[in-house]
Amino acid sequence: MTEPCGVGLHQVLASASPGDAITDLALGTRDLLRRVGPSEIYARHVAPALADEVLALERYRPPHARNLLIVHASIGQSEVHEFLTYRREPLVLVYHNVTPGRYFEPYDTVFADLLEVGRREVERLLPRVVLAIADSRYNARDLEAMGYRDVRVVPPVMNLRRLTGQTPSDATLRHLETVPGPILLSVGQLLPHKRPDFLVEMMHVAGTYLGMRGTLMLVGHQRLERYARAIKEQILELNLSNVHLVGPVGEAELVALFRSADAIVTASEHEGFCLPLLEAMAFEKPIIARACAAVPETVGDAAFLLPAEQGPVLFAEAVAETLSNESVRRQLVAAGRRRIDELERRPPNLSFVESLLEVV
Amino acid sequence: MADDQPASSPDQTPPSLEQLLVTLRGRVEHRRQSGEYPPGLEAEMESHFERITGRPPTPSFLLAELEAAVAELGAFAYVRDPLPLTSRVPGGSALHRLVSKGVGRQIQGVLLQAQAQSQAVARTIALMASATNMLADAYDKRVIQQLDDLQVRLAEEQGRVQELLVRLADVAARVPGAGVDTWYELDAFNAHFRGGADDISMRYDDLAQRFVGCAPVLDVGFGRGEFLELLRDLGVDARGIESDARLVEWARSRGLQADVGRAVEYMSRLDYGSLGGLVMIQVIEHLSPQHVIDVVRLAGEIVRPGGRVIIETVNPTSLYTYAHALWVDPDHVRPVHPSYLGFLFGEAGFASVERVDRSPVPADESLELLPGDDDMSKRLNANFERINGLLYGPQDYAIVATR
Repeated sequence: MTEPCGVGLHQVLASASPGDAITDLALGTRDLLRRVGPSEIYARHVAPALADEVLALERYRPPHARNLLIVHASIGQSEVHEFLTYRREPLVLVYHNVTPGRYFEPYDTVFADLLEVGRREVERLLPRVVLAIADSRYNARDLEAMGYRDVRVVPPVMNLRRLTGQTPSDATLRHLETVPGPILLSVGQLLPHKRPDFLVEMMHVAGTYLGMRGTLMLVGHQRLERYARAIKEQILELNLSNVHLVGPVGEAELVALFRSADAIVTASEHEGFCLPLLEAMAFEKPIIARACAAVPETVGDAAFLLPAEQGPVLFAEAVAETLSNESVRRQLVAAGRRRIDELERRPPNLSFVESLLEVV
Repeated sequence: MADDQPASSPDQTPPSLEQLLVTLRGRVEHRRQSGEYPPGLEAEMESHFERITGRPPTPSFLLAELEAAVAELGAFAYVRDPLPLTSRVPGGSALHRLVSKGVGRQIQGVLLQAQAQSQAVARTIALMASATNMLADAYDKRVIQQLDDLQVRLAEEQGRVQELLVRLADVAARVPGAGVDTWYELDAFNAHFRGGADDISMRYDDLAQRFVGCAPVLDVGFGRGEFLELLRDLGVDARGIESDARLVEWARSRGLQADVGRAVEYMSRLDYGSLGGLVMIQVIEHLSPQHVIDVVRLAGEIVRPGGRVIIETVNPTSLYTYAHALWVDPDHVRPVHPSYLGFLFGEAGFASVERVDRSPVPADESLELLPGDDDMSKRLNANFERINGLLYGPQDYAIVATR
């Protein structure tokens, strides 16, 4: 592919854990980079399972004279920022988006501050960065708003059919057979910018005014206790026994949920990419989403996108229509299949590495 | 769905998503207009969620969480995980199997006991939750009943207090000396009935002279401050009090020492013998009989020996005053007889009490004497003079008392 360049190409993350999309991207990138030169991954927090793959940041002792640091930015991390501040290597910034703190202000001011600090850290790296890469045009615009120029857009490296080949959990499949259908599935952490409250309101409208039956499963970590409690109260007060906060699940359970779902929904307002929607396409499920942030460019024409400014009423109508209209569902599923094929045809790993090598 | 609603066509060529979106927007609009969607539905849902995020969890939510936790605890089951029987030591696996077989029954027994205890704990917690719920309900009802009772009683008491306030205001308005609440400017009243400031100054110059050497002087009810100005012009240190704050402000703006205060209340706060003089011009007729008595007693206490008190008031021994000055002012309570006032000062221990008649009735208003010198004229004139004395006596008098 390319001649060895003799430059150390090392990646820096805030934390590395198995199954984490950014960690996976870093691992795939490292394997490619090793073809052209020495390459390691360093992280501030390393999960024990990855101790052989990822090195602790404090162990950064590059044996080569010339090195390039590739920084993956997704959250504020003061120690990583401090490390980068005193290193002299040129930096390549890979921006996965930092959620604006305002979404978290009402629930966790400390976390909201941390996110804002994270965004400021990205801004402060500007003079040191020789190449900025964003995994979506939306993220590129975010970087440009901070003053970055010539931002390259390279979609993340991933195996989109990773889940479809896995065996679903039998117990979950059996349980889902007892759940009143149709089943709507939303996959993502229960956080304010994902707007699960919007989906709960949508279910209220669909059930009360459109007579729609069915169940909404909200799958994902509930790390923000106050917010999760508010969603639970909202469900209780709207008397929605058909909305379930499932919490985090294992891969086999997630596969069962995707397989059993009749449609995938998201009301998220802030997404740097939104991988679960691509996974939904791989499972050949119709998607209904709000046209916010990077969602439109992620899904292409493979989702029923509703204008961002529209409320849960139109969303409920769209869900009811999609569930009752076979041709719409077929159209969305076919578009999803095409979208997956299109993404798989592109070798983003390569374009990512090629961008790096240009700099080197 | 109503027939006239915009509809998609599921069995024909699928519409583009853009077309479908237009159809759905039309459907939403139609439902809004027909009232199927209530007005402000989305705004209400949004504010509902905002209310939830802005408050602590409700008791019903906490109870639902508790019930779910108890249900989860009740459904918990111990399982005897198979013991790992493999071993890398030769013969180890057989040994593990033997041990497992040996202790398996005991482990099963322990597990059954633990399961039974866990179920008992779950039952107990469920009972506690129910009991707490029941007690909270009963307590809520009792507290709400008590609050209701209190609110009813409070409303009744408020009604009574309101009634009392109305009656109190009525009673206060009837009390002589309680003062009248006028809507007109007192200044205008004084200017109309008592003459301009220059007239007043001229009329009281003689009385002011009597305070020379008697500082400090307190002028109770100084009105427009003419007497205070006379004292200042004479170099006598003086301070005045008035119940009307606007008059006090006005006096201060003219460089006079003035305070807001009422006679008895203010005088009772002064130290024994702290004054050299006390003056009340046309004030004592505004006081209740009790306050008249109190003022004289207090004057005896706060004016030092050798000090002087001058009280000028309407003269009730002249019947002319009843037809003129006395009842013009609605705030007059009752005139004070000069003999009574003199008596009070004598009793209060003043060394000398002098009465000075003031404000004679204009000569052309009294009965004219006959010019003749005969007996008849003399006898008639003597009678006229007696009548003049009673009817047209001086309009005011002043008591000048020396401590």
